[in-house]
Amino acid sequence: MTTFPAAPSGSQPSCVWSRRAVLRLGGIGLFGLSYAQLDALAAAPTARQKASARGIIFLHQWGGPGQHETFDPKPEAPEAIRGWHGASATRLPGVRFGEGLPRLAALADRLTVIRCMHHNMKNHNSAGYYSLTGVPPPSDDIRLRDSLDLAPAYGSIVSHLRPSQPGTASFVALPHVIADGSVTPGQHASFLGKAHNPLLITRDPNQPDFQLPELTLPAGLSVERLEHRRSLQQLIDTQARLIEHSLLARGIEENYQRAAALLLSPAFRQAFDLSREPSRLRERYGRTTYGQACLLARRCIEAGARFVNVYFSRSIGGTGGGWDYHGNNGESAVRRLDELLPATDQTLSALLEDLEQRGLLHEVLVVWVGEFGRTPRINNNGGRDHWPQCYCAVLAGGGIRRGYVHGASDKIGAYPTVGLVRPEDLAATLFAALGIDPHTEIRDRLNRPLPISRGQPVRELFA
Amino acid sequence: MLPLLLMPIAWASAGWLLSISACIDVDESDIRSSRAVSATASAPRGAQTPVSFVREVVPVLTRSGCNSGACHGNLNGKGGFKLSLKGEDLVADYAALTREQGGRRLNVQAAEESLLLLKATGAVPHEGGIRFTPQSQEYALLRRWIAQGARWDNPPLPALQRLAVSPTGECVIHAPRDRFLLQVTAEFADGTRQNVTHLVTGEFTTLGVARLTPQGEVVREGYGSTVLLIRYLNQVQPLRLVFVPARPTFAAEDWTPFNEIDRLVFQRLQHLRLPPASLCSDEVFLRRAYLDTIGLLPSVDETRTFLADRDPHKRSKLIEQLLNRPEFAENWASKWADILRVEEKSLDRKGVGVFQRWLAAQLAQDRPLAQIAQEILQATGSTYAHPPANFWRAVREPLARAEAVAQVFLGVRIGCARCHNHPFDRWTMDDYYQFAALFVRLDYRIVENSRRDRFDGHEFVGEQIVYQRRDGEMIHPRSGQPAPPRLLATETALPPEVDRLGAVAQWVADPANPFFAAAQVNRVWKHLLGRGLVDPNDDMSLNNPPSHPDVLAWLVDDFRRQGGRLKPLIRRIMTSRTYQLAATAPLGTNSTPAERELYHAQAIIRPLTAEELLDAWSQVCEVPLVFRGYPAGLRAQQLPAPPLSRRNADGPAERFLKTFGKPDRLLTCECERSNDPHLLQAFQLLSGELTHQMLTAPNNRLARLLNAGRSDAEILTELYLAALCRYPSDSEQQAILPSVSRSPNRRQAWEDVLWAILNSKEFLLRQ
Repeated sequence: MTTFPAAPSGSQPSCVWSRRAVLRLGGIGLFGLSYAQLDALAAAPTARQKASARGIIFLHQWGGPGQHETFDPKPEAPEAIRGWHGASATRLPGVRFGEGLPRLAALADRLTVIRCMHHNMKNHNSAGYYSLTGVPPPSDDIRLRDSLDLAPAYGSIVSHLRPSQPGTASFVALPHVIADGSVTPGQHASFLGKAHNPLLITRDPNQPDFQLPELTLPAGLSVERLEHRRSLQQLIDTQARLIEHSLLARGIEENYQRAAALLLSPAFRQAFDLSREPSRLRERYGRTTYGQACLLARRCIEAGARFVNVYFSRSIGGTGGGWDYHGNNGESAVRRLDELLPATDQTLSALLEDLEQRGLLHEVLVVWVGEFGRTPRINNNGGRDHWPQCYCAVLAGGGIRRGYVHGASDKIGAYPTVGLVRPEDLAATLFAALGIDPHTEIRDRLNRPLPISRGQPVRELFA
Repeated sequence: MLPLLLMPIAWASAGWLLSISACIDVDESDIRSSRAVSATASAPRGAQTPVSFVREVVPVLTRSGCNSGACHGNLNGKGGFKLSLKGEDLVADYAALTREQGGRRLNVQAAEESLLLLKATGAVPHEGGIRFTPQSQEYALLRRWIAQGARWDNPPLPALQRLAVSPTGECVIHAPRDRFLLQVTAEFADGTRQNVTHLVTGEFTTLGVARLTPQGEVVREGYGSTVLLIRYLNQVQPLRLVFVPARPTFAAEDWTPFNEIDRLVFQRLQHLRLPPASLCSDEVFLRRAYLDTIGLLPSVDETRTFLADRDPHKRSKLIEQLLNRPEFAENWASKWADILRVEEKSLDRKGVGVFQRWLAAQLAQDRPLAQIAQEILQATGSTYAHPPANFWRAVREPLARAEAVAQVFLGVRIGCARCHNHPFDRWTMDDYYQFAALFVRLDYRIVENSRRDRFDGHEFVGEQIVYQRRDGEMIHPRSGQPAPPRLLATETALPPEVDRLGAVAQWVADPANPFFAAAQVNRVWKHLLGRGLVDPNDDMSLNNPPSHPDVLAWLVDDFRRQGGRLKPLIRRIMTSRTYQLAATAPLGTNSTPAERELYHAQAIIRPLTAEELLDAWSQVCEVPLVFRGYPAGLRAQQLPAPPLSRRNADGPAERFLKTFGKPDRLLTCECERSNDPHLLQAFQLLSGELTHQMLTAPNNRLARLLNAGRSDAEILTELYLAALCRYPSDSEQQAILPSVSRSPNRRQAWEDVLWAILNSKEFLLRQ
């Protein structure tokens, strides 16, 4: 296993004797080691891993961005493969990006580009679930059903294993719930329990009146009345004395306290108050839902969140939607790309520059990846179809190598020729970056032990 | 001298589950005598005795953790070295040790130089750390095996027949005593016995209670209970341990048993020196009984009547009335529907409706549960005309069907055996695929499918005919051959042409079925007492022994005696003193709530379910609920299926149910319902739109009371009775009433009070 470089802020929780730890040791023999020895060893297999990232911003590119148009252009290929755009040089010698991404090309020396992502799921919901959890879906199903036996989102696992400080959401997701016909699995805590669900923000952060509905009192209910209600509630609770002798009652009361504190506290609202950002910076991110969501993601990470999912779009395609440019029904793939590429170039470059200027890039890992790539050959409708066999991911910051291209595809961008990274390997890499052993076991609702990733961290990606 | 007082009681006819002994106390002389036995038995054997790969080497690797899931037992192995998980695949493990990597892991010429030993002792860097020292028994055994040539057992040794652990069943250790010695004996097929205490793997189900010392002693780390699972080869024996702190015995006088349940529970409590709580108040009982039977709160009139009633038998009378209300059948049908996957996408709206009504009708008639199960299992035909056939409409693949039937009707989980022979569970892949073969011929004729989403293979709208084909076999993935149909825990396969569904249905309903009755009793106990006697309730296995084997055994017998019906079972449990205990500890008891709840020394408090909570809000506010596509006024509990989530189209009531954990009914597991409190629930109640609408609705209970000109004191009393089933105390009246009369806006003041009542823990929880 790899030892990862030390992070400035990666702190490990102290070793405690959890059931987990004992299971990891695999049961205790009667005549083997003394307990003192075992105790000393308990953390050995995992605690050696150091976190290189304090938090991750996961930019999920719903619909499936084409590798040819983004980070793996094939300018020498025939036109039916090359596509509509040329390629342009980047800050890295010999490395070209699609010409629609000039600002990212100028930042290429900060990025790691993976050109050998690979899996076999051709439907959005199955592939989407795979990309959000690193767990292969049970079937390649256009309407894969979300249920509690499917795997939790990355952020929920992080919330479970490396929670943020109390009072801060470990896992935030915004600004959509993604779906293709039915809600895509992999966006919540599933069997880990609701406590590890993301703080979900589905209001549009680009709206002037953006605020969290949870933090908004119904019309006619003033803060004073809410406080008065709480005092009456406490009066009745004192009478019944349940809080004294029931852990459950205490847990519920703590949730009231936290929720009321959030409702009443200006500090927490401030984290979600984008008007506190200079308007030039807001413009720089792009005055779009996605652009402002990325800005909000940065604020969440600054406020202590560990994992933020930002979904590029609510739907897979169509005007204002994601990357699914089949060219069906007379849609123009070129026009879609004229919308998708500038937005991507502007917002991702803004986020990276902003993080760098704030001195956060070394400890915050930004991941840009969709659920699959797109067919090498342009189809009869003048678009590209689903292609999971070879696609790109971009990583930056958080201990990841700067200015590196991992793997390569063949000359038409159809299959990886050098290297192969599956979603489970990317998952293992993200967990490793956070200092979490990628093979840590979690238990599902039937108490079956499951590793959080069945992949291997890609060592070459780390600086 | 008999070292330990053993009184084995086989509970239920499911003798395989566990044979237990009554509580035993271990005293000093026992420890000395067993220590003597152990000392002789575990004396090192001569260098000439051949070391067995199967019986000794693999168990040493298992107990040292080498083949655990996080180490070399991982699917990918670790560091290029892969062992089968906990020694499941001996042949592969032997090959991995002796053949792979050019055989460099073992060195038969110089055993000490074997990489296996160098790694495990940390002599060369090892990711997994030091597993044992060169002075340990583990080391000696492995070294000797290697030096003897690292041989496969030849001839093969007789199989393990029985694992005998002494002491057995349950050990109660009273302070100041804090330890006892284990002895584990293996009995093999040829009748030989061997002390294997030094070869077993021990695992505690909870941490911090006890540990195993290198001397084989179980030593207290803290007070409380845990189960020690002792594993050797393919067998496991559970040992329940209770370390009791110094606390006085207590007198029995205040605790007359109401029925046999109480006698058994109480006997146990006396032994554990856990004084039970007093009987709960009438107010608490009333609310508890209503919620547990009909899922609703009593009306204000019903509460006043019950509290005023002086009849000493009024509790039994109330239980009788509740069992005969139509809401009882609806409420318990909904619990069944939760695990029978009654949901709209696969059943469609008509299907969920007919199935839910059918279930409620069966329960209202109180048909024997086995008959209901039989009818569901053998149901074929139209899903509209023959409602129970909807179960097969929801569970559509043979493997899912087999797992669902085992979990719902038999209380066992066989899913692990889909992919591997579970090293410590009884179910093998043969069992699994042969059981699944019973369901492989089920098929569907889709009369029409007018689904809205043509891409969605899970959605069916329209009638279906469920039928059995005359052919079709389940292919066993390891052999590639058809698996002959065979029922679980039976020896012989059924003839292939048998009516396979009929055979399953008959077997499940057969009074001699070893699983069905225990699974049903346990599940009902879980719903009434808050925790299964076996918990999780659908995981009955040797690895998960019951908290009260004797209570479970007695209840199973009693359930059978009473015709295997739901109502007598519920009546029996609810009329017990155990059910009617308060949820608070008696003063001055030196014990933890977790311990008192586990042994039923007090009632377990649970949150109201999503449906109960929403219906209670609606009832207290007198504001009917609105669910999309249903007539207004339908209660949450009457919803035949969870509302289908269409993006952004859920109404506030649908969202409320989801936030409070109503299951989507996609799993055949009680565990799909999650009652764990979380932040969004608090937001829903503090600032949520639905609760706000109910409080401010122009025609709600507050409006009615205010318009009727009721006094503040009368209003307060009515709100308390409606929500909490009790009268407000003097101090509550003194604190609340002035705040209302001071307020310039009387209606708003009452909204605030009502909010506080509906958010009190007393309201949100069922005590």
